[in-house]
Amino acid sequence: MSEDIRALSAVLAADPASLVYVDLAEALRRRGDLDQALRVANGGLARHPEHADGFDCLGRIHAGRDDLPRAREAWGRALAVAPDHLGALRGMGFALYRAGDARGALAVLERALAGHPADDGARRALGTVRRALGMESAVRPADRPVEQGARVAVETAVPAPPSPAVVPATAPGAPSVAAAGAAASAAAGAAAELPPVFRGFEGATADILLFDDRGLVVAGGLGGADGVDVSALAAAGLAGVSSEAGRTAQYLALGAWTAIVAEADRANLVLAPVGPGALLLVRRDRGVPVGLALRMAERAQATASAWLARQDA
Amino acid sequence: MSPDLERALDRISRVRGVRGSMYVAADDGIVVARLLMETVNGKAVAALAASLARKVEGAAAATGAGRVRFLQMDAADGTLLIAPAPRDLLVVTLADPRVNVGLCRFEMMRAAEAAA
Repeated sequence: MSEDIRALSAVLAADPASLVYVDLAEALRRRGDLDQALRVANGGLARHPEHADGFDCLGRIHAGRDDLPRAREAWGRALAVAPDHLGALRGMGFALYRAGDARGALAVLERALAGHPADDGARRALGTVRRALGMESAVRPADRPVEQGARVAVETAVPAPPSPAVVPATAPGAPSVAAAGAAASAAAGAAAELPPVFRGFEGATADILLFDDRGLVVAGGLGGADGVDVSALAAAGLAGVSSEAGRTAQYLALGAWTAIVAEADRANLVLAPVGPGALLLVRRDRGVPVGLALRMAERAQATASAWLARQDA
Repeated sequence: MSPDLERALDRISRVRGVRGSMYVAADDGIVVARLLMETVNGKAVAALAASLARKVEGAAAATGAGRVRFLQMDAADGTLLIAPAPRDLLVVTLADPRVNVGLCRFEMMRAAEAAA
């Protein structure tokens, strides 16, 4: 990877107008050097202000920085230039979904799949969004190419940006969560199940959810009132709560936030960080005292933390 | 500030460890009434609390938990408590980390009723 970056840097230095800036920015992004990737992408786009691939790459970089408004803007500009740009459509679907606009994400991803029916990533993302919306079938038969129909996997992660290879980097210092997330996705694809991290806990797969700070489900699960799995939708929304809590704690000089407890009409929710980059939600009936729900969450937190450490070992 | 709201905030502020409490417009995070220690930036607390409450409300809906009635954010150096009140208001309290949350909650719920 470093050699690629060196080679691409040399090409760009020799010809600053080269479109290779996209490849260089992408390589830097994958390496996790998001600041440098951003500089390269912006530099290239200053010379090529109508370059859809450049804006698509810029969108992924912003998403990696957890700056979804800018990511969305970048993908929007890519689509203004090239309305059928697959990467930008998938990216926009991801951004809309993360923003809680599952209907908007659905429309964009359907457009992506209509234009690129063989794209497996768009199909999986579309399936996830449909499930989150409670649609009966995760993937409509018409969306499945005949030769791939048997391989359509059930997964419970939010739609990922453009491709597995270009999923925005997890927060620095959280490789275990990324690895666990990948393992969870693989497990989901293979057996339609997430890792049994919370085995033995009440509501292990319906009321306890482990996810990462980008809103990707890692383990556990969350069922909706009608029995539909809402893990992906909840993880996407709760990741936003986590970043808001971090911002609030920082501005008010409260130190690191340790838990958020929400007493709601039908349930009590406890949200807690589990090491860098991972979050835990425990949902308990409204009748369960808040103090008890907090203690349950502490136990689940310790279990999740130990599991993540094992994934990292 | 109306005497009722003033009394309600005063009761909250008498709980040991409370740094301040206020009524905040839920929509835009503007302070409606407040009783704070001098060191507390009321505008910042109000804006951030309203924003956090909105985020949690949306996420709670996604989890099927329904409408949020009370919100508590624990942090290493403080606790932020939020209770929705009538007329699109929030009762917001900033307190020490070891504050008696149960007592705060009780007084905040009374304060929410006082806003009706």
